[in-house]
Amino acid sequence: MYGWHLRILRVNLTTRKVTMEDVDPKIARDYLGGRGWAIHYLYKEMDPRADALSPENMLIFATGPLTATPAPTGNRYMVVTKSPLTGALAHSNSGGEFPTWMKRTGFDMFIFEGKASEPVYLFVNEDQVEVRSAAHVWGKDTHETTDILKGETSQEARVACIGQAGENLALMAAIMNDKHRAAARSGVGAVMGSKNLKAVVAMGNKNPPLHDPEGMRTLSVNTSKEVGADVKKGSNMRIYGTSYVPQVTNTLGILPTRNFLQGTFEGVDKIDGDALKDQYLIRHTPCYRCPLSCGRLTEVPDGPYKGKGEGPEYETISSLGTGCGVSDLAALLKANYLCNEYGMDTITTGMTIAVAMEMYEKGYISEEIIGMPLKFGDHDAMIAMVKLMAFREGFGNDLAQGSFRLAEKYGHPELAVTTRKQEFPGYDPRGSQGMGLLYATSNKGASHMEGDVAYEEVFGVPVKENPHTTEGKPELVRHFENSFALMDSSGLCVFVAIRYAFNKDRMILPLRVTEMMNLTTGAEYTPEEVMIAADRVYTLERMFLIKAGSGPEYDTLPYRMLHEPLPDGPAKGMVVKLDEMLPEFYKLRGWDEKGYPTQEKLMELELPLN
Amino acid sequence: MMIRVKLIANYREALPPEAKNGVVELDVPQGTTIYDAISRFDIPLNDESVIVLNGITVDMSTPLKEGDMVTAFSAIAGG
Repeated sequence: MYGWHLRILRVNLTTRKVTMEDVDPKIARDYLGGRGWAIHYLYKEMDPRADALSPENMLIFATGPLTATPAPTGNRYMVVTKSPLTGALAHSNSGGEFPTWMKRTGFDMFIFEGKASEPVYLFVNEDQVEVRSAAHVWGKDTHETTDILKGETSQEARVACIGQAGENLALMAAIMNDKHRAAARSGVGAVMGSKNLKAVVAMGNKNPPLHDPEGMRTLSVNTSKEVGADVKKGSNMRIYGTSYVPQVTNTLGILPTRNFLQGTFEGVDKIDGDALKDQYLIRHTPCYRCPLSCGRLTEVPDGPYKGKGEGPEYETISSLGTGCGVSDLAALLKANYLCNEYGMDTITTGMTIAVAMEMYEKGYISEEIIGMPLKFGDHDAMIAMVKLMAFREGFGNDLAQGSFRLAEKYGHPELAVTTRKQEFPGYDPRGSQGMGLLYATSNKGASHMEGDVAYEEVFGVPVKENPHTTEGKPELVRHFENSFALMDSSGLCVFVAIRYAFNKDRMILPLRVTEMMNLTTGAEYTPEEVMIAADRVYTLERMFLIKAGSGPEYDTLPYRMLHEPLPDGPAKGMVVKLDEMLPEFYKLRGWDEKGYPTQEKLMELELPLN
Repeated sequence: MMIRVKLIANYREALPPEAKNGVVELDVPQGTTIYDAISRFDIPLNDESVIVLNGITVDMSTPLKEGDMVTAFSAIAGG
């Protein structure tokens, strides 16, 4: 076999024992890699009922077969674990350089078990594997930590680490790599913190061998040329990154505004991509081997919000910005930089503050409890809350539990806009019905990255789909969920893969993804086979959820989405018609009417029957 | 009648200098369609563009009314 190393590094942090294991080639093929391999091991080896912050939880870093190959954007990895925020599964994706460096150690996956008795970091240089003390970097932010650990290991190494938020077990803690890139969602950083694992430092020269190196090189060059031609025409992703999206979602009336009380934001022109480009953009910052280069280095050169870093992405603008009613771009950038430095998911951070703002304005939480007024639009208070959350100080301890637990504690759970206790991303599903079904059923709670049908409902990629209708959406959502499971397992970035490695039909088919997988691994997949494998991955994740106690009873949406119509914009008057979609979705997935995978479906996918 | 055209992100370059925040007002005759209005600008009128009327996808031959807003953005890039 090629492409995969078929080797796993297993680190028991309790005993400090390190083992190197081979992977069964059949398992490798059937579960694709990355997210797929990770759920196979997680389901087989851990009790899904375990406390997510206990030593019994497993933390898995997983690259895909296309990671560290010539494939454009073959630079991704997944962090897979049980989520302390949702109690369901976490699978968070990140790019940059670390994932490629990790794969070059000669291992496809790192599995962490147990809990170290004191802070440690893992250093891997091919077969040199050491669990080292991290006492000197504990308490430091992700930027300092990265600089110090590269300084004492090698400038050739790359670092993934947690900041103070992860150390303090804040439930929105992320794992940051290359300082600015985040495996952000579902509290994966808190799991790392609970294991006293501060960082992973990786380096090596073991590029995976390719089945057909010449064929892979040619296909990769041709794909890059296609991307390059679009960039030359003026691709928004190159010019603005995702920061141009607020104008699109505002036009459609689905831009989360003031905790989803509205779908349009009057201050959008002050915080959109053009405002960013004109005032604070320094340059573009690509992930490794990416012809698109959507990352952006920005700087607020002086004043109270002085800072420098990457971002903001759209999802940060729609959470810390519009979600909180904030239209001061410099302050928004400052909050973004702080989240990256402390190691926090900007979506959950921003939308948790947004809920606190609504509860403050409605008189459900007092100024005495918070320690200051907390009105929508108060950007200084928003920044203060980010700091309190990271350190769990004062009211920050309530915020650090996420919006669901916060709203529940103060008696108004209906104000938390979450599914499986995870905050919604930047597409109000009342005006994007497919996204509503996606959030309700996602294996990791509300997330666009679980099967982003906004590509069709919002962006017309590859074809425009009416966002207001429910007809055909169950089929579309199911197909996108499986397609995203494939991308997350392959090691490709969604941004490039969905446009250049699938065909242009409404039901996108992974023709070029399959070709790349075959040239890399020699596995001789058909496009149908990789989609069946992706379905296998998705369904096994569902089985994990059911065993974890986050089963079908959680396939729903919060009160606001089902009962409070949008008051403004093109989707005015709409709620999510989940009942029109959910039964058909279950049926198409091969699940029974209650949402449990049938024995027939499990047998068809060659999955364990219990 | 007066209508407005909003071009988002990279399409803004196709707007005349008097446009503000990506929006330009146009005085057009009765019966002007979305297609007529958007054809005035140098943007691709095919699958590369998403064009909406007051935020809703409708047929390009739809006639416009006083106060309508036509918005276009590139579908190449997505989000």
